[in-house]
Amino acid sequence: MTTKFDLNDDSLVVIIGSGAGGGTLANELAQKGIRSVVLEAGKRFTLDDIENDEWKMFGKISWLDKRYVEGPARLAKDFPNLPAWIVKGVGGATMHWAGVAMRFQEHEFKMKSTNGVVPGANVLDWPITLKELEPYYVKAEKKMGVCGTEATGMPFHGQSSHYKVVAEGARRIGAKCDQATLAINTQVRDGRPSCQVNGFCMQGCKIGAKWSTMYTEIPKAEATGNVEVRPQSMVLRIEHDKSGKVTGVLYADKDGNQQLQKARVVAVAGNSIESPRMLLNSASSMFPDGLANSSGQVGQNYMTHTTGGVYAEFEKPVHMYKSTVVPGIVHEWKDNDASRGHLAGYELEILHLGLPFMSAFLNPGKSGWGRELADSLANYDKMAGFWICGEDMPVESNNITLHPTEKDQYGLPVPVVYKTDHINDTRMRNHAYDRSTELFESIGATKVNYLPPYPASHNMGTNRMSEKARDGVVNKWGQSHDISNLFVSDGSQFTTSGTENPTLTIVALAIRQADYIADQMQRREI
Amino acid sequence: MKNNKPDLGRRRFLARSGITVAGVGIVSAGLLSATAWAARAVGEQGSATLMRMARDIYPHDRLEDKYYAAVLTPLAQQAEADADLRTLLQEGVAELDRRSRERFGKPFLDIAAEGDRVQILRAMEDGAFFQRLRGDLMMGIYNNPELWPRFGYGGSAWQHGGYINRGYNEIDWLVLS
Repeated sequence: MTTKFDLNDDSLVVIIGSGAGGGTLANELAQKGIRSVVLEAGKRFTLDDIENDEWKMFGKISWLDKRYVEGPARLAKDFPNLPAWIVKGVGGATMHWAGVAMRFQEHEFKMKSTNGVVPGANVLDWPITLKELEPYYVKAEKKMGVCGTEATGMPFHGQSSHYKVVAEGARRIGAKCDQATLAINTQVRDGRPSCQVNGFCMQGCKIGAKWSTMYTEIPKAEATGNVEVRPQSMVLRIEHDKSGKVTGVLYADKDGNQQLQKARVVAVAGNSIESPRMLLNSASSMFPDGLANSSGQVGQNYMTHTTGGVYAEFEKPVHMYKSTVVPGIVHEWKDNDASRGHLAGYELEILHLGLPFMSAFLNPGKSGWGRELADSLANYDKMAGFWICGEDMPVESNNITLHPTEKDQYGLPVPVVYKTDHINDTRMRNHAYDRSTELFESIGATKVNYLPPYPASHNMGTNRMSEKARDGVVNKWGQSHDISNLFVSDGSQFTTSGTENPTLTIVALAIRQADYIADQMQRREI
Repeated sequence: MKNNKPDLGRRRFLARSGITVAGVGIVSAGLLSATAWAARAVGEQGSATLMRMARDIYPHDRLEDKYYAAVLTPLAQQAEADADLRTLLQEGVAELDRRSRERFGKPFLDIAAEGDRVQILRAMEDGAFFQRLRGDLMMGIYNNPELWPRFGYGGSAWQHGGYINRGYNEIDWLVLS
């Protein structure tokens, strides 16, 4: 039986978004008996909708509403309307991820204390520590089924040919390389099968071996009877009363009709472009700069990780596509060691693309053609490579703003995303290109290609956590400094980006936040 | 069977990456000959010029003309019904030849050296005509399942049980030193 809640029921938590943050929060609250409505902008997909086809899945599940990329970075030229590569559908970006689940390192919660003031960056310590988050990391690893961890006891996937090539190169240059801890089953677990190595993790796992809220948290939450998921519900604004508390959420339903769902608590989890956009779109006479924005930090400090790609060509076949998408990580440079010429760390994540995406990303943009590119693509089966994933400096002017005149299909101002490198990002990327080249040449690479950053799947920081209300948007529980019954539950609450892929930390924070919300509701604080 | 239905996903992606794309032809029997395919849209000379240009954009000497023609044929067919596209192609070919004559004293098709032709094309690469060809070719060559075996790419794997029992860990040339 599907639960239906009344629009006028003001005892509910309204969660906006159903991905790693929103989907997890809904299920955690539901298991405690707390009722919620999940408003999801996208459709509900099933495993039957998932195909092992890069472009088809791109067209099917991506968030393709109008956006602008601005700034001097190459991304703005190559992909002027696609700043981020995320999902519009139930399950959100947990459909489009490789399953990489790593905990933050201790120093990554205190980058300001570690490095002092970084000129040109808006660095801040998190108001929480690794020690505080550790128990929730364990819960998250169990929930998601992360292989290679004590929490699950599941073994690693085994060494794919792609992994073996990189691991040998890493060994020759003395760099640490290990199999990746992935939220992908290597045993039958939690009603889901073991990975059969299809090689299309990022297109949605066809067999459900990879954790996605689409077929874990969401159906579990619905089974309690405490949750109603409303797909194709695009939030227009969050309403508040005279006292400044939020009271409900106005959204456009699947037929385009406006509905107002009342709420006791609102949790925003629409990823780091949509979440601040919702708060900005909810500006009122009482909050002229948008909700939760007394600090002026809503939409600011947009981070994507310092990324890039490195693909080497060899004389003999590697067949990198016969692998989990990220079979391993070279993590020699994940620490914070200023002697390298840059602050913070990065990981080289072994990652394959299929031929269709390789043709689009090896040299993206209008100049990506000609014999050199074609010759490299002819060597597709002899390639091995990395996706660089490094800590991104928060820069206030990297931000999400609202287009002054242009509206989207919902009548909302189109988001404008400004993003460019801090000098530290550039230095880190260059270091990663150099070390990657050294690694690949040590095992006989005939050519090493550097790929510029492509549209971001890791989006963070635009509603950041801070100890003091003047420095950020939410407190250490993801609760608005300004409005006590308004929460942020996605990666936009990240104070700094860390080196690691964000999903595990988003899930750990959502589990922790659910405990806090339950406690505060019980105490009638919210 | 020819599949001329545009794939919405690709088209949306390309629209956002500054390129556009039409349908991608699947190579099969009954294809128009390499020189005749676009004759009605841009003339015999024009169609041969576009074929030369296509092979310069993504040059794979071991791939037969039919794979490039499979991209150009639906484009030309669409141009018959779409006046704007027809104009784009006709004016694009004319511009290509004008620049070729200016620089090398002969039409594009008669320039013998690839490097010389590339010089002409690089100067036109930001334009809509060039990007239309490039976008269609990228999809038609690299997103064509018929060609994936030629590039050593496996494509969809789930229906075969993935690679867990089909060599995911096999590599024979890596000498562990």
